[in-house]
Amino acid sequence: MSRILSRRQFLHTAAGGTLALPLLTESSRPARAATAPKRLLICFTPNGTIQNAWLPKGTAQDFALGEIMAPLAPHKNDITVVENLTMTAALRAAGGDAHGLGVGCLLTGIEPLPGNQFAAGMGGPGSGWPGGISIDQFIAERIGKATRFPSLEFTVKTMEGNIWSRISYKGAAIPVTPMDNPSMAFDRVFGCDTGDAAALARLRAQRRSVLDNSLAEFEALGRTLGKVDRQKIESHLGGLRDLERQLAATCMPVGAQCTKPPRSTLVGTKVPKYNLSNEDADAGADVDIPARHDAIRQMVVAAFACDLTRVASVILAPSRSPIVMSWLGIKGMHHAISHTQDTASLIKIDQFYAQEIAKLIADLKASKEADGKSVFDNTLIVWCNELGIGSGHTHDKIPFMLAGSAGGYFKTGRLVTAQKGIAQNDLLVSIANAMGLSDVTMFGNPAYCKGPLVGLT
Amino acid sequence: MGGGGPGPQGGGLPGASPGPAPGASPGATSPGGGSGPGPQAPTLNCTKPDPGRSPLRRLNHVEYVNTVADLLNLPEATELASTFPPDEQGGGFSNNADALVVTGLLAGRYVEVAEQLAAVAVTKAKNLLPCDPTQGEAACAAMFVQRFGRRAFRRPLRAEEQTRYLALYMEERKAGTFTSGIEVVTRALLVSPHFLYRVEVGVPMAGATVVAVTPYELASRLSYGLWSTMPDDTLLAAADAGRLGTPEGIEAEARRMLTDNKAKQAIAGFHREWFGMDEVDGIGKDKADFPTWTPSLRSALKTELELFVEKVFWTDGKIETLLAAPFTYLNPVLAKHYGAPMPNSSTEFSRVDLDPTQRAGLLTNGALLAVHAKPNQTSPVHRGVFVREGLLCQPLPAPPAVDAAGNPIVIQPPVVTPGSSTRQRFTQHSTDPSCASCHRLMDPIGFGFENYDSIGRWRTMDGEAPVDARGEVVGTREVDGKFTGAIELAKRLAASVDVRECMAKQVFRYASGRAETPGDACTLQRLRERFDSRGHDMRELWVAVAASDAFRYRAVSGGGQ
Repeated sequence: MSRILSRRQFLHTAAGGTLALPLLTESSRPARAATAPKRLLICFTPNGTIQNAWLPKGTAQDFALGEIMAPLAPHKNDITVVENLTMTAALRAAGGDAHGLGVGCLLTGIEPLPGNQFAAGMGGPGSGWPGGISIDQFIAERIGKATRFPSLEFTVKTMEGNIWSRISYKGAAIPVTPMDNPSMAFDRVFGCDTGDAAALARLRAQRRSVLDNSLAEFEALGRTLGKVDRQKIESHLGGLRDLERQLAATCMPVGAQCTKPPRSTLVGTKVPKYNLSNEDADAGADVDIPARHDAIRQMVVAAFACDLTRVASVILAPSRSPIVMSWLGIKGMHHAISHTQDTASLIKIDQFYAQEIAKLIADLKASKEADGKSVFDNTLIVWCNELGIGSGHTHDKIPFMLAGSAGGYFKTGRLVTAQKGIAQNDLLVSIANAMGLSDVTMFGNPAYCKGPLVGLT
Repeated sequence: MGGGGPGPQGGGLPGASPGPAPGASPGATSPGGGSGPGPQAPTLNCTKPDPGRSPLRRLNHVEYVNTVADLLNLPEATELASTFPPDEQGGGFSNNADALVVTGLLAGRYVEVAEQLAAVAVTKAKNLLPCDPTQGEAACAAMFVQRFGRRAFRRPLRAEEQTRYLALYMEERKAGTFTSGIEVVTRALLVSPHFLYRVEVGVPMAGATVVAVTPYELASRLSYGLWSTMPDDTLLAAADAGRLGTPEGIEAEARRMLTDNKAKQAIAGFHREWFGMDEVDGIGKDKADFPTWTPSLRSALKTELELFVEKVFWTDGKIETLLAAPFTYLNPVLAKHYGAPMPNSSTEFSRVDLDPTQRAGLLTNGALLAVHAKPNQTSPVHRGVFVREGLLCQPLPAPPAVDAAGNPIVIQPPVVTPGSSTRQRFTQHSTDPSCASCHRLMDPIGFGFENYDSIGRWRTMDGEAPVDARGEVVGTREVDGKFTGAIELAKRLAASVDVRECMAKQVFRYASGRAETPGDACTLQRLRERFDSRGHDMRELWVAVAASDAFRYRAVSGGGQ
């Protein structure tokens, strides 16, 4: 293995070309779990919806899917539409942008911290970062130690590090940075170092001692700090401990019939401009969105099937999405359109997202566990949005859809109508319960919790 | 977005006090109700140093790549910036300590990048090594750990660290080579919290809540504050020699540092963020109304803005010039756009004198006027907000969510109809009481800019009527009153304590990488006094902040308990 790199190679590898961490070898596959584990996948799409096109028509167990959900028809018996949930924390927040509040409260169920980091859309006092841990990270903390990655987070494009482009939080004001570069994501999750055995053993030993040294320094430093500073060091330390576990893991996929996905050649993107006029929006920059969705989907499905992680989140588009879906014949950015009366385009956009969710379901159904069941049988997908109605910036009637039963925990093929005023916190509790955390009775701000959501089990 | 400069992170909730008082806590400043002059300055007790908060800070990506480029003598390492996920934002400036957190992806990225950097660095061992290993490997490795470690940690290694890093070398040397030993040490240093973060402990003093920072910690505060990178050898030598122990010693270093090109880069970054210069990149205008608005015009306008601010700052430095200069830097495309005299050069940007009755400094800059306007019309609201928040540092309250009857308020820009003036389109803001209480702080300032259209050109007609550029400022100490046109407003702002105080705050926020706290009141007051006593030279603010309590001391509680 050559250790001498030219400048060009340096930048190539530094940009995610060939180097892969952790050091993993193709040997020593560990024993497979005796019973297939449960998996959780959160899928976020933005800017509210068109309620009457989204909502199914009919009764709880006898309904027709709405126009937007038509692409999910093949999976109708496997989904649960949850309507009428209210994002109470967003409604009660003291300041902040409606989109930012929505996406910040969605999975945390608690008001954001006070602050002015994120301006309100129309000026005035903004909000700080979200005020607590998100449900996916909460679950990952409890069940994630069994796998190489406690959780994996993906996003569709490189977005600014702000409240609108993050959904997962390790705690108050600790956003989890999602992977925005499919080829680098592949290297991180599925990559293996190559070379002769002796060189690999050396490299592994080097990494071991460098990491040990770093862990010891972070631990020692953390002990000397006050609460606020210590949280920063502990978040970093958590990332290093994950790496440590990965060093000890093997490279070979470990699931029953799992194979590595193809390595996407897509790389990161420029951070998009949110303040473009629709005329100025560069539709050409977004035409690779479907390919990005494909790459992410293949990685999520393989990571579940190979039991590399049991918790994942995917931002199919960020809040206030400026994506121009020119491949659907749509002109203009999603966010800008959401503030117009062009419902036809908005329905098309949401149908596209429904189609992407349908593909995820189909691929998970096609992935088999050791016992012959599908990975989907043990999976719960949560499809969610930061607003009810985009043009009105509403925080009630949030469109939620569940797919999969989490190993038979949820009954599916249903339309669940929450009672007026019930907060999404109750759904978050149900999700934790479904993932096996039966002790969870509240999540987020306890004032908004009434227990698990009625009608799911 | 509403424009205006970065506000204080965690800034004040809207209160009832009219205007900011000198040295008042920023958390209490707000342009709320009344229109009278602000309260008198409270008497500050500035006898004891108060450094405000002292949060632990991670290097942001700009600081990180600058630092590794300097540390390893690898200028190309700055290209690594694009391979990091974007820094999380903290409001205000991009170096705000409170936002810079690390989770798994970035933690792993640091490890990967350290491997890459170390592998490249050891191929240029001459740059890295202080000694010749053929004259004794062990001694050379020890010297490397000591010298390189001091630069990586920006302080001398403690004895325990020296031993530990040398042990890393020796462990690797058993199976590897001298070079691979150096490489492993380099990797380990690059992923240390003492490299990735600016760890400060201060000079211990029993029972104290405020302590002096060590000379090396101060050197890093200076270098990241003024340069966005690590200290150079001269600065570390000044720390070694105890020359950073007095305000005078610090000031001398700060003056030296300001002559370095690194200061030019860092301070350009400050201005870019303060004035929202990058917002220019995305501005679109309706093609039917503004056919001359093209990407090349937009990019030329941005260059003009950058050049103007940079030239004023580094040649004259006076806030009056920044806000009221009747000249700018144009190329022929822009001269045509402004209707200004052609510059001497046919391609390059050069200085052009403008009609002083039409143009005055920053406020009449075409790029900013275009940013703070709608695609099809001007926006007195956004132009007013830019002045109120960006130049007066007064955060504005949000529009109400519901009207007096409890019905949701839907805010949409007014429809442009032939014959209607801007002022007519925004009458609801002054007649509807639920709008007027706040919009009186913005719109009447913005109306003063009505002589400039949506792309910043001078105009005398607004629709079918002559432009009415009468405006009014309320809620300040020295800017209040009626005025006509942006020139009169610019001159009044340029001469005001309000803007000088705001500028001092913005420099403070950037140089110290955090929002001000009530404890920083004395520091801010001294900054303003220095600014006043040195002829309002903006460069003096950077010198003054470097020698301030906020730089020389730290709160033992760090970022907070």
